[in-house]
Amino acid sequence: MPLIINQQRAELDSWTSLLGDESAGGEEVLSVDQLSGDLLVSWEQWQKNRPALLSHDGRVGVKIDNDFELGDLIEDLDKLSLIALEFPVFSDGRAFSQARLLRQRYGYQGEIRAVGDVTWDRLRFMHRCGINAYEIAEDRYSDEMLEAFQEITVQLQGAADDPRPIYRQ
Amino acid sequence: MYVYNEREQQLIEERVEQYRDQTRRYLAGEIPEDEFRILRLHNGLYIQRHAPMLRIAIHYGLLSSKQLRKLADVSRTYDKGYVHFTTRQNVQFNWPKLEQVPDILGELATVQMHAIQTSGSCVRSVSSDQFAGVVASEVEDPRPWCEMIRQWATLHPEFTYLPRKFKIAVTAADEDRAATQVHDIGIRIVRNESGEVGFEVLVGGGLGRTPVIGKQIRPFVEQKEILSYIESILRIYNMYGRRDNKFKSRIKILVNAIGIDKFRELVEADWEHTRNSELRLTDSEINRVKSYFKPPAYEHFDGSDAGFENKLKTDPEFARWVERNTFNHKVPGYIAVTLALRVHSENSNNLLGSRFKATGNLSESQLDAIADLADRYSFGEVRSTHEQNMVMADVKQSDVYSLWKALTELGLARPIIGTLTDMICCPGLDFCSLANAETLGVAQQIDERFDDLDYLYDIGELKLKMSGCINACAHHHVGHIGILGVDKNDESYYQFTLGGSATKDASLGKVLGRSIPKEKVADTLEKILSVYIEIRQEDERFIDTYRRVGNAPFKERVYATDH
Repeated sequence: MPLIINQQRAELDSWTSLLGDESAGGEEVLSVDQLSGDLLVSWEQWQKNRPALLSHDGRVGVKIDNDFELGDLIEDLDKLSLIALEFPVFSDGRAFSQARLLRQRYGYQGEIRAVGDVTWDRLRFMHRCGINAYEIAEDRYSDEMLEAFQEITVQLQGAADDPRPIYRQ
Repeated sequence: MYVYNEREQQLIEERVEQYRDQTRRYLAGEIPEDEFRILRLHNGLYIQRHAPMLRIAIHYGLLSSKQLRKLADVSRTYDKGYVHFTTRQNVQFNWPKLEQVPDILGELATVQMHAIQTSGSCVRSVSSDQFAGVVASEVEDPRPWCEMIRQWATLHPEFTYLPRKFKIAVTAADEDRAATQVHDIGIRIVRNESGEVGFEVLVGGGLGRTPVIGKQIRPFVEQKEILSYIESILRIYNMYGRRDNKFKSRIKILVNAIGIDKFRELVEADWEHTRNSELRLTDSEINRVKSYFKPPAYEHFDGSDAGFENKLKTDPEFARWVERNTFNHKVPGYIAVTLALRVHSENSNNLLGSRFKATGNLSESQLDAIADLADRYSFGEVRSTHEQNMVMADVKQSDVYSLWKALTELGLARPIIGTLTDMICCPGLDFCSLANAETLGVAQQIDERFDDLDYLYDIGELKLKMSGCINACAHHHVGHIGILGVDKNDESYYQFTLGGSATKDASLGKVLGRSIPKEKVADTLEKILSVYIEIRQEDERFIDTYRRVGNAPFKERVYATDH
């Protein structure tokens, strides 16, 4: 699946997803031979396999749903190199709030990746909320969509990219 | 009025180009229908019964003569030569072509107008009191605060995909002309015990299927923290508002479901982080925005104009109009004038075979003429009102007579403001794809029945509001008398509610009884009013009488004959 990181097409994705079949929720207890390289796991998998994931040779990322209470995750932020936020449909904007809270309130420095319904016309808003990686469906990707980040160059209110409203810029 | 600086102008121009590209990609098949629907709604474009409808923002109702002329021009070039003013002070084009919308928006951007966030599930344009700045009793002019909220909300990256639409109103006068209690957030500018000016904030009001009066979330927010407080409310709504059912997605449902106390707790826990942040307004920003709303260069008069007083004595028709359609100005020698934009057969332009001119409609020639009058008599500005009329707020008393003559010729001087026939009425089945029932023909029926001005004046203040479906665009729940059109086996029927109010003493109307057929609407109104005339005490308004006696006597009269 095409991936944009820091406003450029990324050719390589170092992350392996262990999320498995979404409908089955993935295997909760991971086997030792799965634990290699950078691993993206669900919140449940992270909870159940913490010591093993922390000691394996690679980084750990967690994907959360958009109704997930961030409070539960805060203490783990320094152990996670990636947080994937779910945008289930084009009309759903809950993860915009999660992204801003992670970046601005909790100071998360790792990669925040938008997954799900991620297309051209929401990239700029996602970027402004602190998301820096975007997984795009094959049939919706084009190199032109990178223009999304430059379409509007004026921001009246602060957000994760620049917390200053226009009257403090 | 507020003028965009270079960067703000750049923003609206970039937004036009962004939308142009979205339209191009949609027409090229690169954006699916469902997705483009949301994108076009964010830019004010609906697909209606006959054609698209494009809603243009008029922030807090303020319009310059230059903008009026541009609206006239666009309606001539791209539409059918008229525009429609809405209950949230905005303006709509009813017949634009989807492919031409980017060009229309480009034209409007040249006069600092746009359609940003005029529909869709986002923060809509902020509405306010049409007499802001000229009301003697107001704490201060609410419009600078509306403007600061507008800027904060414009293309807000976090809050453009909310569960549902989000409407904010701000008022500063004792009488609430902005209906703050039926908005998602209602803001009242108040003074606290120590004399400091700040904001009382209400949340969770709204009409539609589930009408609710807003609840106070905080009695006093200091001026500089108003944006942080609103941001926290929006964040809680964005995260916890329901998204599974569009009829249960407004903030009022969330507030009712968890209770105002729990909702407040969530908001204030978030606010602990947002207050005293970069969102805090600065003195220089507050002063900068306020500087655009300084009073115009009023001439100095000692008391009333003698010529004006004389005309009041010698021309009873003029006097009647002044009594009904003007409003006291805080500056001696000035007056605010309301233009009546009402359904009335005499002035109807025969649009599209419809016999009726809808409430709130103005033709391109009327728009041009109003622009000229505004330049001559009211510092080049007009305001649109929540009751779908228009106001010239700063007219010299010595000019009022000439203005009245000119407005009479334009068909905008019917002396009915505040009376029964000054009714709010949605476009109904004739134009709207959501409507279940006809409204314009019924408004006409009412207008014809109640054309005796003496009778109207005897009835006195009466807010009549008629919606053609449960979405309640005409706010029928808060009409002293509300009428809701319903569909029964493909026939339009009408349900009456009595006792609603949108002002300071806000209340929701109660259903009178079963709905009645179309041809009986004026009869039914007449019966209701006859009861009122019989039992009212002294100067009691209809709403006061209703509150004293309740539904019963009205119900008895209306349904008496058809047992």
